[in-house]
Amino acid sequence: MFKTTSKIMLVDDEKDFVEMLSLRLKENEENVIAAYNGQECLDALEKTQVDVIILDVKMPGMDGIETLKQIKKRHPLVEVIMLTGHGTIQSAVEGMKLGAFDFLLKPADFKALTEKLNKAKERRKEQMERIQKAEAAILLRQSKI
Amino acid sequence: MDQPDVTEDIHILLVDDENDFRQILAKRLKRRGIEVREADRGEKALQMLEEKPVDVVIMDVKMPGMDGIECLKQIKGKYDLMEVIMLTGHADIHGGVEGIKSGAFDYLSKPIELEHLVRKIKQAFHKIQRILAEKKEAAFKEQITQQMVVAERLVALGTMASGVAHEINNPLAVIQDSAGWLQQILEKPEMQHMPRKNDFNKGLERINKAVERAGKITQQLLQAVKTQTTEMADPSTFVEASLKKLSEEAITLVEPEAALKNISITLEMQEPCPAAWTDPLQLLQVLLNLLSNSIQATEEGGQIIVSLSASLEEAKIIVKDTGSGISKENISRIFEPFFTTKEADQGTGMGLYVSWGIITGLGGLISVESEVNQGTTFTITLPVKK
Repeated sequence: MFKTTSKIMLVDDEKDFVEMLSLRLKENEENVIAAYNGQECLDALEKTQVDVIILDVKMPGMDGIETLKQIKKRHPLVEVIMLTGHGTIQSAVEGMKLGAFDFLLKPADFKALTEKLNKAKERRKEQMERIQKAEAAILLRQSKI
Repeated sequence: MDQPDVTEDIHILLVDDENDFRQILAKRLKRRGIEVREADRGEKALQMLEEKPVDVVIMDVKMPGMDGIECLKQIKGKYDLMEVIMLTGHADIHGGVEGIKSGAFDYLSKPIELEHLVRKIKQAFHKIQRILAEKKEAAFKEQITQQMVVAERLVALGTMASGVAHEINNPLAVIQDSAGWLQQILEKPEMQHMPRKNDFNKGLERINKAVERAGKITQQLLQAVKTQTTEMADPSTFVEASLKKLSEEAITLVEPEAALKNISITLEMQEPCPAAWTDPLQLLQVLLNLLSNSIQATEEGGQIIVSLSASLEEAKIIVKDTGSGISKENISRIFEPFFTTKEADQGTGMGLYVSWGIITGLGGLISVESEVNQGTTFTITLPVKK
């Protein structure tokens, strides 16, 4: 299967969960990094370019919604998929309104997760291409003047 | 108190050994629309009451054999709602007082003035009605209190269970992904010839199935707790839903299951077609649950009746089956989470708990009546559009 070289970040305070899901995604040749709370996620974003973030809603300290707001403020083009428990589905809706790409109910089905992940990667890729094209057009026009 | 001037529904027994007096009085009372039976002595009166009780007894104090006072005592001992008016001879105040002490409603001295007697009969009758109304109200209050006790217990159980469910969901996700990871690895080309690969796959398959089952339980639990606690569910999903359409949909969905056991499901309803102000999808879930429970509890060839009705205040859905029924010990626990009498792999004990949560969340009530080997009746009341 063709793989784009996207970078994915997993954010969840449940370390075992992050580890296992990372292993699975890596098994599918994905490039995955992990963060165990909202702050770690934001710090990592300053250093590394990330395409898609899989973000748990319920975390101690800065929760998923607050983290999402910060991500979108600083890096609006990063796609975010929210992970929610059944009781916190309301916050998934809130997350979507704040610009999250999609959400998944925990425990998430891996197949559904990879499908949504691929769609998010696809959108991110198209968006980046459009930006590149626009930038190229600007450069082209500037060089003509 | 409002006392309507109705004498038609009053049944009395007139007891006096003086035949002429009794017969004339009976005739005059009958003319007033009062239902009168007659007895000429105390023993006879008791026997007649045994056959068919009345509202008010009018009885002479002085009678041969069992006297009026003795007969009165026996009546009051046996029928706590029956009122007795004593008739005493002229100037025999003593007998009247004795009668009141023994529980008579009042006494009248002979000669009797008809108007006076009729007035007394009505008063006694209204007293009975008042007591009956009070009893009914007390029973209603008792029922409401009991429902609240049950609801409180369910909410407490739900809060605890949902806490557990939340905590279990995380490790479940870890188990699921660990098993999934191993399966992914087994599918790799380099693992193609791994020894005993099938055994590994089999074990992982079982883990997945068990995780899925556990996940379903936690989801149902969380859903039930959520629907019952988010005050009135989400009002934006409320519509005026046709109960006929919903019931037909539910029946169509369970019909194949019913057909296997040759069970007939009939829909009865009151015109015009009842509608409820509710979330149709959630209500459908409850109906499906009740119907499939009924099918499971009903023998070959049994019958299930869904009946619909509505008033200005509420809409009602009754699901009645001719199934095995629910025992007295079980019926009080039937809405509790995890309560089931089915085999471990047949049911999780969540269905009725979820249903209860949904109906409560929709602002309605769900109750159950059952008799072992006779069948079970679930009644759902829901709000209507005001």
